[in-house]
Amino acid sequence: MIDFIAAAIRIATPLLFAALGGILSERAGVFAVGLEGMMLMGAFAALIGAWASGLSLVGVLFAIAGGAAIGLVVAIVTVRYRADNMVTGLTANIMAIGLTSYLLRILTGVGRPVAIHLTPLAPWPIPGLADLPFVGPLLFDQPPLTYLAAIGCVALTLFLRRTQAGLTLRATGENPEAVFASGVEPMKVRMLAVVACGAIAGLGGAVLSLQQIGTFTDGMTGGRGYLALASLIVARWSPLGAALACLVFGAAEAFELRLQGFGVPVSSYVMQMAPYLIALAVLAGLGRSSKMPAAIGQPLHWDR
Amino acid sequence: MSDLAPPSPSAPSRLPFAASLRFRSGEGVAIRIAVAAILSLLCAAVLVALSGHSPLAAFAAMALGAVGSPHQFGVALNRATPYLLAGGGVAMCFRAGVINMGAEGQIALGGVGAAAVALVWPSAASALTVFASLFGAAAFGALWAALAAAIHLGRRVHEVLATLLLNFVALLLVQQTLAGPLGQSGAGFLQSPETPPASWLWKAPEFGAHIGFLIAVAAAAALSFVLWRTPFGFALRVAGSSRRAAAYAGFSIPLVTWGVMLLAGALAGLAGGVEVLGVHHRLIEGFSAGFGFKAVTVALLGALEPLAVVPAALFIGLLEAGAQSMQRQIGIPSALVVVIEGLTMLFVLAATVRRA
Repeated sequence: MIDFIAAAIRIATPLLFAALGGILSERAGVFAVGLEGMMLMGAFAALIGAWASGLSLVGVLFAIAGGAAIGLVVAIVTVRYRADNMVTGLTANIMAIGLTSYLLRILTGVGRPVAIHLTPLAPWPIPGLADLPFVGPLLFDQPPLTYLAAIGCVALTLFLRRTQAGLTLRATGENPEAVFASGVEPMKVRMLAVVACGAIAGLGGAVLSLQQIGTFTDGMTGGRGYLALASLIVARWSPLGAALACLVFGAAEAFELRLQGFGVPVSSYVMQMAPYLIALAVLAGLGRSSKMPAAIGQPLHWDR
Repeated sequence: MSDLAPPSPSAPSRLPFAASLRFRSGEGVAIRIAVAAILSLLCAAVLVALSGHSPLAAFAAMALGAVGSPHQFGVALNRATPYLLAGGGVAMCFRAGVINMGAEGQIALGGVGAAAVALVWPSAASALTVFASLFGAAAFGALWAALAAAIHLGRRVHEVLATLLLNFVALLLVQQTLAGPLGQSGAGFLQSPETPPASWLWKAPEFGAHIGFLIAVAAAAALSFVLWRTPFGFALRVAGSSRRAAAYAGFSIPLVTWGVMLLAGALAGLAGGVEVLGVHHRLIEGFSAGFGFKAVTVALLGALEPLAVVPAALFIGLLEAGAQSMQRQIGIPSALVVVIEGLTMLFVLAATVRRA
């Protein structure tokens, strides 16, 4: 049982980072379809940073920068040039796949197997708490980025609900005209929010490459960005809800791995469909009751 | 604006997710798109320089690889074919304000449809086998698009999410079919047995290009006719430029959505079928990886104009055929071409497309 929940938490962690970033972006009024690309670039940059410097912390900083770079591209095209959010996000995803694959081959040579392997980040047990029965190994004996995801979730909730900047950001997603009238430039708010979204989603990529796998493979995010997007919509743009949704996706995948381990005669391909089908079913179940930010996806029409 | 309210209070003035792509202006779009393509090639030159190679040598190798011999040109034509077929359908969807991102899954299932029919079709009459297989491909693609349309319209799930998530399911479905009923045991990887020669598409000797490209051009011409000369085309253009106007004029948005989704699904399925029957002669796992995005690329590159999608698809086809030989000859990773495509798209989006 502990193994099962631990696996769910492990699978949920990268999703949660991406979902938190996506909440920032969507609350500010920009659809976060580019999460996949931001994660992928973060995963790549993290590995390169940690490999070149020998320091995991540098890798984490690289992940933030790499994800933010994709965020900046999306921000410029969607906010400044008012292009369609969905198509731009998808384009950013594909460009990230091409760019990471190209750069990786330049670094390691064409046609040769990837030569960069790192030891995944070790857990940081919290003294005293880690020895508690049941909850100890689950909550207090995790690798560093998992703690960061949990902290980020709470921090984002407080930011959105309790700070002036959070209020401005939410207003930009609901009613940019009002924000403009109050003397804040909504375009700037959206640009910043999308770049921050990229930085946070980049951390989700770092979880995959630095903390869980220790290397980078082409397109290693494998649709996790889209699942994160689905989970933040299901959670109605709430960070704590997103954590729950990510854990449900994590549990579904952990369950699927379990079943395969037991040799249940269900095809692994059918089992792998589970997260996507669950996401679709939940989105369909929400139907028209899901209340998205009112001005999401709508371009800002004034220039300065 | 309030005096433009639709006549009956129950008519939706604006769907909650109404979205539409609109090109900013009619004239000058071609120039903007050309500039976007050139800018992205310049960015690519910088990336090539980063790898320590000469950009000029790289582009020369690419050009030679694309049009250096009839065979190379044939490869480029074959590459362009599925993008053109699926891209035309995507362009129609975008015109109607339906952001269909599901071509990837629809193409893959189209491949399943073609292979399934070709493998079980008993007769050896060539033309009929090909026709039936391509019909199967289109039907499978349309079916998958219909599923997305039903989820989108029935449950108000955003069409981008519905189509994207269904893509992942479709790809797994293809793997499942290949692991089960359609698979060739002992092949080492997931593929079907070879389809009977009667089902293969006719190939031009020397070029190696199959007849699919001509089918695709004919389809583009037909789409252009539908878009500009039929009541359905008018309805979808109105729906795409203003949902309010469409509701006011009495056009049914759900009907238009169903229409373009089924059309795009059938064309995407056909793209998958043509790829299976024309190039591989069997269904192979991942045979269409990335095709769905390329379809979106050529649709936007062609300014959502079915006939202009033809040169756009040719451009991407030539680029890819060229990149393959560039990788072979001077060792620059062919992933560069994905970057060029992505950059071109971003520049095109920034320079021309506005959300209505």
